[in-house]
Amino acid sequence: MALVPLAGVLLFYLIIPLFNLILKSFLKEGQLVFTLEYYVSVFTKKYYIGAIINSVLIAIISATIGMFIALFAANAANHATAKSKNKFLSILNMTSNFSGIPLAFAYIILLGNTGILVVLGKKLGIEALAHFNVYTITGLIITYVYFQIPLATLLLIPTFEGLRKEWREASQILKASSFQYWIHIGIPILLPSIFSTLSVLFANALAAYATAYALLANNVSLLPIRISEMFVGDVYQRPGLGSALSVIMMLLMVIAVYINQYLLKKVRGGGAR
Amino acid sequence: MKKVNFSKWMMWVTALYLILPLVLTFLYSFSSEWINVLPTGFTFKYYMQILPRQDFYMSLARTLLICVLTIVLAGILMLLAMYVVTVYHPKFDKYLQILCMIPYALQGIIIAISILTLYSGAKGLFGSRIIMLVGTYCIIILPYMYQGIRNALRAVSARELIEAAQILGCTRFYAFFRIIVPNILSGIIISSMLSMGIIFGDFVVVNVIAGSSYQTASMFLYKTMAQSGQATSVVIVVMFIITLILSTIAFKLRNKTH
Repeated sequence: MALVPLAGVLLFYLIIPLFNLILKSFLKEGQLVFTLEYYVSVFTKKYYIGAIINSVLIAIISATIGMFIALFAANAANHATAKSKNKFLSILNMTSNFSGIPLAFAYIILLGNTGILVVLGKKLGIEALAHFNVYTITGLIITYVYFQIPLATLLLIPTFEGLRKEWREASQILKASSFQYWIHIGIPILLPSIFSTLSVLFANALAAYATAYALLANNVSLLPIRISEMFVGDVYQRPGLGSALSVIMMLLMVIAVYINQYLLKKVRGGGAR
Repeated sequence: MKKVNFSKWMMWVTALYLILPLVLTFLYSFSSEWINVLPTGFTFKYYMQILPRQDFYMSLARTLLICVLTIVLAGILMLLAMYVVTVYHPKFDKYLQILCMIPYALQGIIIAISILTLYSGAKGLFGSRIIMLVGTYCIIILPYMYQGIRNALRAVSARELIEAAQILGCTRFYAFFRIIVPNILSGIIISSMLSMGIIFGDFVVVNVIAGSSYQTASMFLYKTMAQSGQATSVVIVVMFIITLILSTIAFKLRNKTH
């Protein structure tokens, strides 16, 4: 009996809505007729396919850059003294809260049309800074990288803690260089958590809404923004199309998880040989 | 030796990079005009503009109301379910875990959209925007509530404690709610604080579901952004301080329990 309330909420606010959304993407509006027209128009119209490509690209690039920086940061934190590691951890915790609209705003005052760095670039004659435009895909990627770094570092630090000092010492005794140590020992051990962190970062960037909404409104077409427009747009609403886009977004996340698991298996299989 | 220096350097560069936007927003809220590399002067003007505004407090109060409603509801639902799972059917835990983790994988936008499509035309209780908001947030914070409460239950060995209480003549219901729950209270508070931080910072759910019809703090922030840069940074500073207080409480409590 005590399970009923939770089951009810799960049913009415998670399971039925999701089924309804999937169903809507295959049904003609207001009718019980099966159709693939929404998917056809998603994949044939540049407007929608462009949003998907943009979102996937931004997610992959920002996740990769974020991961690259986080690897160095987590490694550094692992070698640091307990005191500075704690300081670093609290900075990570604090800045991982700084996302969405506040983040977009901070990047506008930093890199917007009259942003501090842009003005500085003009004064010092640094062309790349002076003509930087934050309201573009590049600007968006730079902003997304910001929220990927604390998340990735926080997820990676425990794995780095698992790298035992003895392994490093043993490899040094056997005259392995630092590079060889990382290629043959460090990275293979880290690889599983690198993959799973990457898929978290990918999903995180793919679904990021507030940052993009506040930063570019309509300059760059993005999947989450397009989806929400289909349902809450002022001009006209197209729930069928929006549902199809949502299903595609869910599929993209499932694909990311699947690729992650496939790679994990490969890595584990390779490790056994 | 060189290697250690490099990695130390790497850590502080990252830290600096992460802190820079925060510091900048903070300084911006005190600057009278900032169209050059450095601000021309410092002022409290924008704080005086925002802080006395009643609609700002109303928006904070609305966010707080939604937070409290959602967390109380999700907490009660979760505890009741955990009671059944811990006491009667431990094997249900697997299914409960899968169900509670779905929202984590789906992300806010899909959950909000799916609930909106189903209920936006509904009349009565289900169609009410506030109920929709509470329902959506409830689903979104479920993974955190589940993890937090389950870990706390494991940490106090809930099942053994209940058995011991039963031997001493307690009913199982009494044992769970009068012995176990007070013992895992800090675990519940930690998850609640985390959830509160999530709801407080949320924009996607409230923008999709309620739009401007229910102005929460983040909607207020978005509106202010179109008006004045400095005023926006004031709102960000105030909201960030509140989030920081919440996460600090959670962090302190967690350290205390370990």
